[in-house]
Amino acid sequence: MTLTSPPVRAEERTEPTGSTGASPSRRKLPLSPKFFIVAGVAAAIGYLALVPLGYLLWGTFFDAEGFDLGGFERAYGSGRMGELWGNSLAFAGGSAFLSLTVGTTLAYLNVRTAVPFKALFFAASIVPLIVPGILYTVSWIFLASPQIGLLNNFLEPVFGTAPFNIFSIWGMIWVEGLHSSPIVFLLMVAAFRSMDPSLEESALMSGATRLQTLRRVTLPLVRPALLSSVLVILITSLESFEVPALLGLQNGIYVFTSRIYFVFRSYPRDLQAAGALAVSLLAIAVIGVIIARLLAGRGTKTYQTVTGKGFRPRPLDLGKWRPVVGAGILIYFFATVVGPLLVLIYAALLPYYQAPSAEAFASFTLDNFRQVFEMDSAGRALVNSLVLGISAAVIVMALMSIAAWISVRSTIPGRGIVEQLSFVPLVIPGIVLGVSISFVYLRSPIPIYGTLLILLIAYCTKYMPYGMRYATTSMTQISSELEESAQVSGASWWTTFRRVLLPLLSPGIMAGFVYILVVSFRELSSSLLLYSPGNEVLSILIWEQFENGSFNVLAAIGVLMVVALVIMVTIAYKLGAKVGLRED
Amino acid sequence: MRSLVATRTAAAVAATLMLAACGGAPTASPSSGDSGSGREDSDLAVAAAETYAKFNGMSGQERTDELVACAEEEGQLNVYTSNTDMEDLIDVFSDEYDIEVNNYRAGSESVLQRLLQEDEAGYYGADVFETNALELGVADQEGLLHPYESELRDSVLEQGRQSEGWTATRFNAFVVGWNTDNVKPGEEPTSLEQLAGPEWKGRISMEVGDVDWFTALHDYYVDEQGMSEDEYTDLMTRLASNSQVVKGHTVQGELLSAGQFDVGVSLYSHTVDKAAAEGAPVAWRPASGEPVQPIISRPNGIGLVKTATNPCAAMLFVDFELTGGQDVFKEAFRIGSVEGTDNPLSAFETFAVPEEKLLEDPDTWNKAYEDLLANGQAID
Repeated sequence: MTLTSPPVRAEERTEPTGSTGASPSRRKLPLSPKFFIVAGVAAAIGYLALVPLGYLLWGTFFDAEGFDLGGFERAYGSGRMGELWGNSLAFAGGSAFLSLTVGTTLAYLNVRTAVPFKALFFAASIVPLIVPGILYTVSWIFLASPQIGLLNNFLEPVFGTAPFNIFSIWGMIWVEGLHSSPIVFLLMVAAFRSMDPSLEESALMSGATRLQTLRRVTLPLVRPALLSSVLVILITSLESFEVPALLGLQNGIYVFTSRIYFVFRSYPRDLQAAGALAVSLLAIAVIGVIIARLLAGRGTKTYQTVTGKGFRPRPLDLGKWRPVVGAGILIYFFATVVGPLLVLIYAALLPYYQAPSAEAFASFTLDNFRQVFEMDSAGRALVNSLVLGISAAVIVMALMSIAAWISVRSTIPGRGIVEQLSFVPLVIPGIVLGVSISFVYLRSPIPIYGTLLILLIAYCTKYMPYGMRYATTSMTQISSELEESAQVSGASWWTTFRRVLLPLLSPGIMAGFVYILVVSFRELSSSLLLYSPGNEVLSILIWEQFENGSFNVLAAIGVLMVVALVIMVTIAYKLGAKVGLRED
Repeated sequence: MRSLVATRTAAAVAATLMLAACGGAPTASPSSGDSGSGREDSDLAVAAAETYAKFNGMSGQERTDELVACAEEEGQLNVYTSNTDMEDLIDVFSDEYDIEVNNYRAGSESVLQRLLQEDEAGYYGADVFETNALELGVADQEGLLHPYESELRDSVLEQGRQSEGWTATRFNAFVVGWNTDNVKPGEEPTSLEQLAGPEWKGRISMEVGDVDWFTALHDYYVDEQGMSEDEYTDLMTRLASNSQVVKGHTVQGELLSAGQFDVGVSLYSHTVDKAAAEGAPVAWRPASGEPVQPIISRPNGIGLVKTATNPCAAMLFVDFELTGGQDVFKEAFRIGSVEGTDNPLSAFETFAVPEEKLLEDPDTWNKAYEDLLANGQAID
């Protein structure tokens, strides 16, 4: 299927920039703004990625005596490795499958169909992302534990004893899959939004059924976004220990990260063994990115759906399926948002958790919320988290929009490396990221250590991979002919980027912005190491309550986070909509 | 551009190499002073050592008066801690003295990492280091801490002043606790052996990271009670086969009061006491009779940092933790370290976590506990 008007060879369009140093083009010194911007962004990404990577590789392969592979032996040399990896892969694969199915379906319904309850999507897409993993998981224990699960209590008369068991591999997949489905949802919404519906309409008119259209037209067009999602979720769930620790250990389901947990407990920290895991994940990530590039590169035009031809997304009528789909959405909304959130609110109002009863309701108190507000640093921490979250989201998305252009559009030699590098921080354990950054800035003449800036650097590094996935996914959809037209009309590269590409990229940028803003609020491992007194962030308070406090106060913090972030994200969307539509 | 990046990275890697080489050398004794980072010769360290020595040699009201005057002149104190009650301590301390306290708090591993990293780089941010025994032991081993001497230290329970470099301020006590709705009076467990029996199948809980508890019990049963290694492993395996394994003591406490399981075998006493004070149906001392013994104790403490910018304030703060601070701990249901104060550790049979053993060979004990949990859980 040809999707766009006559192809123009990309090479004709892009002037050689010679930015990355390989070509000694002396005929024209490329000291244009474009050169500086592109080179600056590439350098920034390289710098952000290489500092922790260098530290990680060094720590993994070398010890005081020199080159050493002992870490691999300690990490992998256990008789139960097969079982551990089996569980890990089942868990990661299952979670990826679930979140992909759920996230994509919801995104499709939201963007492309006249589905009811659209407002609920917003909450469904954001809330599981905001609630810290530990709270989300414990909420599910309260809902679906065979011993004390509320759902089990409700449904016991119908289905017999304990129909749900959250302490199983299925429970783990369920919780992790739902918790990460917002990543997919945000990515896919961006992808579907930039898709010309006339392609689907043509297919329908040519006699294809809706299902055929979906399978043969819609899904292939969003393949880069799908692939990005799978990659990110596979790796994050292979790394995750929260859900396996709280749900798997209970019944002796051990995953690979539980091995690392024990390895990492010793002092001195066995960075070698922990690094061995990260290096394996790095290999998976590198291969994944290569596959993604190959797929996208097979026909650069394949996924370009935003062309010079105007289109207006017209929602597909669901016909007789509308009530069915509507019911499905309500069920999903209750399962992922209302259920866990109600449990959290309920726990936040209680002095200690107990099954709902008249007695429990009588003991409702706002004491936990009062405790949160009375914490000395709570206000400051909230402000700092907001400042950091917004700054990190803006900086990362700005850098990654340009990086996506370098990677997807330019013909600069080595452009693939930019994409690979931007993906590196995804596999770096949080504590290694923190240590490597403090290592550098403790020795830097510029006074960054001990300020909020060091946290900003850490956040930018950590969220670069996500930003890059959001930006490249959108970039692959934008046809090069638009850029060409702008340039033919005399616009400079920078003007073209700013006035043509950036607005068209806005669905992806917006999604990435929201994602980074939200998850930066609960970044723990590097924040704990890098913040300084007076620069507290919200996650420090979460850590304190988790370490030795009250789960109920923790629940109150979770509820407040949901409220604060839903407001923030709503504002962001409102502003974003203005930017996206602006025509000047 | 790229070559610049490469150079910087190479430089960083080279620096790591050198530091790793230095850091890798075993530091023989805490006071050997042969650290490679120039810590001991820094002006800060020399000045602080002088101050510490002066006050360590004084006693009585004279010492206190002079120390307070000196500390208030410094006017600042930088605390690095993993103590989650620190904010409350500081509130009381700042009410009493005209000193501004900066509180860096994080998990014990992060605080230690931070202290070591800063020391390597010659950036001296901490005046006192307040955390768990293991991390204090490491800092002491690395030669970062200066001994603290005073009459107050002499009043600390003996198991709290095993090391010269730091002084215990409070204790974590691992106790066996239960849900009082599900375990009726008279049915409370009396020993771990009992909890390993089939009637407790699926009703008890262990914590995935309590290697220190496990190691202490090993020494208690094997070295003190004359149990064989096999018997101890068998006991713990049966315990594990009865257990739901959880991660984190706060979650463990919450799930206990929610009734997810009936008994936790390695709960912190303060988690249970705090929840009980809120009205939760949990306890670790039966209405009549004695709790399950031994109670495993592990000190948390404080050490003076050699490179303190505010050595007087640092010493004054240690004084404070051993006096007024003890009341703050008690309010947080913690067990203080000062002798006499109706301390549960004096009332029951307690056994201390063998810190040196854990410090010398953590891998063996980590591995043993990990295998034990997995093997136990594999039994149906």
